[in-house]
Parts: sequence; C-alpha cells; structure tokens
Amino acid sequence: MSADDSARATPGIAGVGAYVPRLSLPASAYREAWGKGGAPGVERVAVADADEDTLTMATEAGRRALDAAGVDASDIGHLAFATTTPPNDEEESAVRLVSLLGVAPSVPTRQFGGSTRAGAVALAATVEATRDSDAGAGTGSGGPALVVVADSPRGAPESDEAAGAGAGAAALVLTDDAPLAVDAVGEFGDPAPGTRFRGFGSAETESIGVTQYERDAYTRAVGGAVEALGIDVAELDPDAVALTAPDGKLPYRAAAALGVEPARIAAGTVVSRTGDTGAAGPFLGLASALADSEDDAAGDESNGRSPATSVLLVGYGGGAGATALALSTRASDAASDASATSATSAVPVEADLDGDVELTYAEALRRRGTITGGEPAGGGAYVSVPTWKRTIPQRHRLVAGECTECGALSFPPEGACPDCGSLAGYDDATLPGTGTVEAATAIGQGGAPPEFVEQQQRAGSFPVAVVAFDGPDGEADDRAVSAPAQVVHSPAGTPAIGDRVEAVPRRIYEQEGVVRYGFKVVPTEARRE
Amino acid sequence: MRDAYIVGAGQSKYGAFPDESYRSLFATAFEEALGSAGGVEAADIDEAVVGSLGVGGRQLGLSGPAVTEHVGLHGVPCSRIENACAASGYAVRQAVQAVKSGMADVALAGGYEVMTDMSGDVAKYWLGVSGETEWERLTGTTFAGVYAQMASAYLDAYDASPDHFSKVAVKNHANGAKNPKAHLGFECSLDDARSAPVVADPLNLYHCCPTSDGAAAVLVASEDVASACDDAVRVAGVGAASERVGLFQRDSYTAVESSERAAAAAYEMAGLGPDDVDFAEVHDCFAIAELLAYEDLGFCERGHAPELVDSGATELGGDLPVNPSGGLKSKGHPIGATGAGQVVEAFKQLGGRAGDRQVSGANVGLTHNVGGSGGAAVVHVLEGGAL
Repeated sequence: MSADDSARATPGIAGVGAYVPRLSLPASAYREAWGKGGAPGVERVAVADADEDTLTMATEAGRRALDAAGVDASDIGHLAFATTTPPNDEEESAVRLVSLLGVAPSVPTRQFGGSTRAGAVALAATVEATRDSDAGAGTGSGGPALVVVADSPRGAPESDEAAGAGAGAAALVLTDDAPLAVDAVGEFGDPAPGTRFRGFGSAETESIGVTQYERDAYTRAVGGAVEALGIDVAELDPDAVALTAPDGKLPYRAAAALGVEPARIAAGTVVSRTGDTGAAGPFLGLASALADSEDDAAGDESNGRSPATSVLLVGYGGGAGATALALSTRASDAASDASATSATSAVPVEADLDGDVELTYAEALRRRGTITGGEPAGGGAYVSVPTWKRTIPQRHRLVAGECTECGALSFPPEGACPDCGSLAGYDDATLPGTGTVEAATAIGQGGAPPEFVEQQQRAGSFPVAVVAFDGPDGEADDRAVSAPAQVVHSPAGTPAIGDRVEAVPRRIYEQEGVVRYGFKVVPTEARRE
Repeated sequence: MRDAYIVGAGQSKYGAFPDESYRSLFATAFEEALGSAGGVEAADIDEAVVGSLGVGGRQLGLSGPAVTEHVGLHGVPCSRIENACAASGYAVRQAVQAVKSGMADVALAGGYEVMTDMSGDVAKYWLGVSGETEWERLTGTTFAGVYAQMASAYLDAYDASPDHFSKVAVKNHANGAKNPKAHLGFECSLDDARSAPVVADPLNLYHCCPTSDGAAAVLVASEDVASACDDAVRVAGVGAASERVGLFQRDSYTAVESSERAAAAAYEMAGLGPDDVDFAEVHDCFAIAELLAYEDLGFCERGHAPELVDSGATELGGDLPVNPSGGLKSKGHPIGATGAGQVVEAFKQLGGRAGDRQVSGANVGLTHNVGGSGGAAVVHVLEGGAL
C-alpha cells in the first residue's frame, strides 16, 4: 500500500483496548533473589495470574477495545489474533477468542504467530484484507475488524529472557472512517539466526547471546521496515514510536537509524512497566501513547505528554524481520473545524497498563507454575469435554435463559423453570456480568478439590461466592439469577455479602490436557481505577 | 397401611479401621442388630436395602448384594440406595415402606462406608462428588465450602456468630465422649473449638465432622413380628423430600427446604409436632447444619437457633437434647452408614439402653438425615413403649 491509494477507503483505528495483569514482580525482587540485575531498563514485569493466559488477556483487551470504540462484538466482521504463546501450540485459539468475545461464528478469523513480529503482521494483514474486500471494514456488511495481540513469553529461569518476561494484551477496532488512519505499511526481512527463537515443543524463548550481533539485527530490520514505508519519517514526525521491546534499552538503539528523538520512543514504549510483552509490546506502547494526556484520566502519573496524533509502530521478530505501520490522524470534516483541537485523543482508549499487586520472586515462580506440580493422584471431578462444550455460551458469555412461559431467568438455561416449573424452554438472555454476592467462603490453602490443587499451589486460598447476577438490563433489571463463581483480586479475602462484583474471563481448570475457560468475578470496588 | 416397628438395631464402632473391610464392618453392625432383636432371626428377613455413597469406588456396582450375601442373607433381594449422606436414612424409609405395604414382614435397612483408607487428595475428590458437579464443584468448592457459604448467609441474615458453631461442637463432643462407639469420643473446650484452623471461612476444623469408617443396620418389622420381640419402637412418622442439588439453584441459603418438607410430612403422619419430641439425632455434618436443622425441624423460629444453643436446651439434660450420640461431629460420619446409625441411637435411647448419655424419659425421638448440602432429606419420628 502506498499513499497514492488514498482514493480508496483506508481502514483506521477506532478504538484501543489494553490489558496488563495486575500482578507484577519488581526488579528489586529479582535482584534480591539472584544477586544480579534483571532485564536492562525494566523496573517491573507483569505476571499473569495462575488462571490467566494469552487467551484470557486477549479477551480482556478485546472487550476493552470494543467498549472504547462503542462497537458490539456481534458487529465485528473480521478477527485477527496474534500471539507467540498461545495456550496450545496447535489448536484454534482464535475460535475460542471469537466465542469468549461474542463475535459471530461465521466471521473470518486469522491467527498469527511464530515471532514477536506477529502483532504488526496481523494489523498489516487485516488492513489489507478489509481494504480489499467489497465490504470494507466500515459500515458495509463486513463490519469493523478486531485485531488482538497477546503475549506471555517465558525463558529458562536463569536466563535474561526470564528476567525480562512480562505479560499483556492489546486490541484495536478498525473501521473505514476511524480517526487514526493506517497510512502505510513497510516490511523487511534479513536472516539473522539465533537472535530470538524457541525450539519445537519448548516453552522457553532463548537467544545465542551475542550482544552486538543481536543489536545490529534489530536496528537493521526495524530501520529497513521503516524505510520500506516509502514515507519521510521527518514529515510524519511521529509523536510516538512503538517498537517491539525485549528490554528497556534495545528500542532506543534504533533511534538513530530511524532519525527520531529518544523521547518519541519513550512515548511509545511501556516495557519498563510491563516487561517483555513479545508481540503485544508495540500495541501496548500505542495504547499508552494514545491514552497520554496532561491530566491523565487513566490514573497513571501524568507524564505531561499530549495524546499522540501520529505514531510509528514497528513489530520486530527474531530471526529477523520487521513490519512497520505509519499511523496518523485523519483530516476529517470535524478536525478541520476551527473548534477542533489536537490536544485531546482522537482515538478512544480503554487501557489497564499498570499492575497494582507486587509479588515476591517466589510468589512469581509459583504463579507461573515454575515450582508447582500438577493435578494430584486420584483425579478430579470429571466433567467430560463434550459436556463442558455444551455450556460454553454460559461459561464464555453468561448466556442465561428467559422462561418462555413466565419470563423468569434461569442459569444455566436447562431443566424446569426455577420459578414456574415449566419445561417449555428458554429464550437466550445474555447477562451483563455485574452482580451481588449472596453467600461466600474461602477455600483455605490445602483444602481445594484435586482439580483445583494446582491453582491453589500457584495462587493460594481462593474465595468462592454465590452471585446474584443482574438480569439482561443490568442493575435496572428487577430480575437476577444466581450462579457460583470464584472471586479474584478480593483484597479482603472472603467478600462480604452484598458486595458488587463483575465477571472476568479466566481459565477454570485443565483436565485431559484441555483448558476449560469460563468466568470468575472481581469485586467492583477492587477493579483498577 | 399397617404400622412398622424397629425391632433391632446395631452399629460398628465409627472411626479409622485399616484392618476392617466394608463387609466386615457391615457384618459387625448386622450381628449387633440381630442380637438386639430377640425373636427375629436372619432367616425371617424378606428384603434388604443398603445405603452407600461408594467412597473410594470399592464396589460401586451391586454393593447391596455384596454385603448381604457376605452376612449370609443368601438370596434375599437387596437394593442399594445412593442419596449421598442421606443414603441409609432413605434405606430405612424404604424398609419401612416395604413393611407398611405388606410386601415384607421383616426388612433389613443399613449402610456402610469406608473413608479413611485413601490419601487426602483422593478423599477430597470423593467428598465433593455430591455437590452440583458442573457448576458448583467447578468453582473449586468443597463440601465444607458449600456449607460455609450457607453459614456466611446465615451470619449475615441473623444475630449469630461463629461462637454458636463452636458451642455446637463442644456440646456434641461432650455427648460423644459418653459414646463408646464414637469416632472422636473426647471432650473439647470452647477455646479449642474457637481456635481451630480455618477450613472454609467462617467454618474451622471443629465446625466440621470427620470422615469415618463404619456401618449400621436396622431391622424393621410388622406389628405381628414386633409383638414377639423384646423391644419395639414404632415408626410413627416418616417424611422425605428432595431439593435442587446446587446451592445457587435454591430459593433460600439459610433454610434447607427438603428438611422442612420432610419434617412436616413426618410430623403429619405421626400426628405429633416438634413440641412432642424428647430428643433428636440431627445431621450436623457442619455446625451450621445443626443450627439450620433446629429451624427446619421446628424446634425454634427462623433465626432463633443461636438462642436455642445459648439456652443449653439442646444439651444432654436440657429440654430437647440434640445429638446425644455425639452427632456426626463426634460420633463420626461414615457417609452411607450415618442415617441408619441415627436410628440405632434412637432405638437405644427409646429402649433406655443408652448408658451415660441416656436421655431421661425419652419416649419420642426424631432422626434427621441430609444428603449433600440438602439435595435429599429424610426424617423419622420414632415412638418407644408402644407395644
């Protein structure tokens, strides 16, 4: 694509969502444990909770992006999912994401992986796919596109990769008339084996550790992709440059090659707060740059920066290759009005970029499962996979039933109506996920049933509540329906009866090698501001 | 329908017995039951009903015939009832039905369970099998967890504190210390009960019953047979009811509707009410369950169980002793044996043979057996000295 395609509708970014886990390991804890510094330029790394993975984080980011853009999941016409660390090396992760988000099953899905460049490749491919389709990514029958990038890289415990390993996800909603247009895409590849790789069947990313060779591979690929954009970087004058960031130093080494000030790279880089988030890194940087404001509403300390109006996003993958995208605010009728200002963000952003629970090094190893065992002998409660599959609409999207006879809600929607006893059946009634605690306990460490022993080893005692979920109209609905749920991030331990909670996507448990995804709840009071 | 009578009842000790099998425990209970029933012989038994959850999976299929053939009841039709912890309470009810209907003149009801010969992880698996599996269990709840949720709702709804749970434990241990067949037959102080480690907030270890091995057996007979026996206790009333298995599916978390319905039916059949009851064996798998039972069985108004505990009325020597045997908490809880075991205690009490824990002037006794967190409940009202 190049600038002279401008006669055709160009997809742009209509909304951005970002999710970084709440748990983090400060560099000081790493230093204390190892007697050496952690990853350069990294102050803390985000740690996925025992029941989080790239799919749950992708769902969290996806929901935030849809919310920010004001787009219904059911209107999405194209979905791309990029990660180097899917829950399974082989299996359709994107299809599960479609279900978790509530995107229509007939929507084309594309999954990208294989290197940390995958996110940028997914964005470029989605722009290309939706631009060329008859429907486009706009108001046509295709509908908006959703690009979700999530990563949670691992390294051998003693390695530099492990020292910097973070976790996070970001998502973009693309529409034809969106305020932040994708102006150009540039790509570059040149073999540089050994720079960042993971062998078949391995969970641990590694590199050969030849420092200058790796730096050169990075700057050459990033510089090459930006050059291939075919635009003058000085003219684009990006407010932020969002680069793949294995650590907090490498991105700045590309400043000279790109001809940009290090401050612009800082504006698009979050690695110091999240650690290495692999393919998601540049997208979290983009979310941060677009969310910037002088009095930051997201609760971060104000950095005095205005929201970016132009961004250079570059995904780099070891091996080595890079994909660059130039993004800039589209001149629209509104923007050309005298009343429009450039000081407010053109793109709505809903981002949780900072953790609020610090772990010790041992706790981080437990959460990641590095030092814990699996399911104990004796087996767990057996719910067959086909049985579980039948409840996926309830597990993923809280689809309750409305009795066709009396209108009462039932969850799960099966069997006789709890109110009138009728077997007439149910109409789907999707619950918004907010609710009130009706009864609660906490299962003490060591007390969990076998299928939750590993979770308990990783994350300790867990509260379990019976929640009266609000009816389809939310708090205004005078109907509610009860369901049991584990409670995450409950600072008080067992939540109090009457506490408000909200559903979040989580791994429930794993059996026969199959991860079962469902919902847990987080106390509304304990949600990140 | 004709009347049915308990004419013999016996049980093994409850506890942890690595040298015993489920068959040998059942044989011990059967022999004691037969020995207590002067006038009835094994050959008189027309029908057998046996309760067991099958913890450990040792003989899930045909476990009924497996125990009755073992004790020499060759050829006697036997069926096994599975209703979680209410299995043998329901077995007694089935035997009563068989006699009342006229299909049997003498029916054997019993139950067994072996729970202590497996690792803690395996035991925890089996302890969770009676919760609602697809939703409740898969939030990581245990059996204790579900009762703890009920306790949380109760503490929120009424003027109650965890101290009331501890007082129930102290009372039941005081009774169980007088029962030579109790699993945990020792006294505990209120401080012990208060300061035990938390199992599932707000329930601590002393608010939870143990897992036990044991068996119990009861002989139910027609009036003709009973009139020739040494001791006969009339089954004045029996009631049973089901409830939605998952707590989250219920209308109330602070009442067990199945217990309420079962009690109402049993009282109605007996033509008696809670005021007529001299003592009760109730299903105190967790201390909160005993408080709920007081209310479900009509011993007090809703929300007044803590007052009843504080008053001392349910202690041995009080107006309405509850769990003179020690209850599930101290006597023990071998799941499949528990309901029949309650009837064993009532038979002893009504016959004046309960030793140090004898309730004076016991004429009407009630047994209350609950499956899971309330998915099944069965209540018997038993009357002594009727023949």
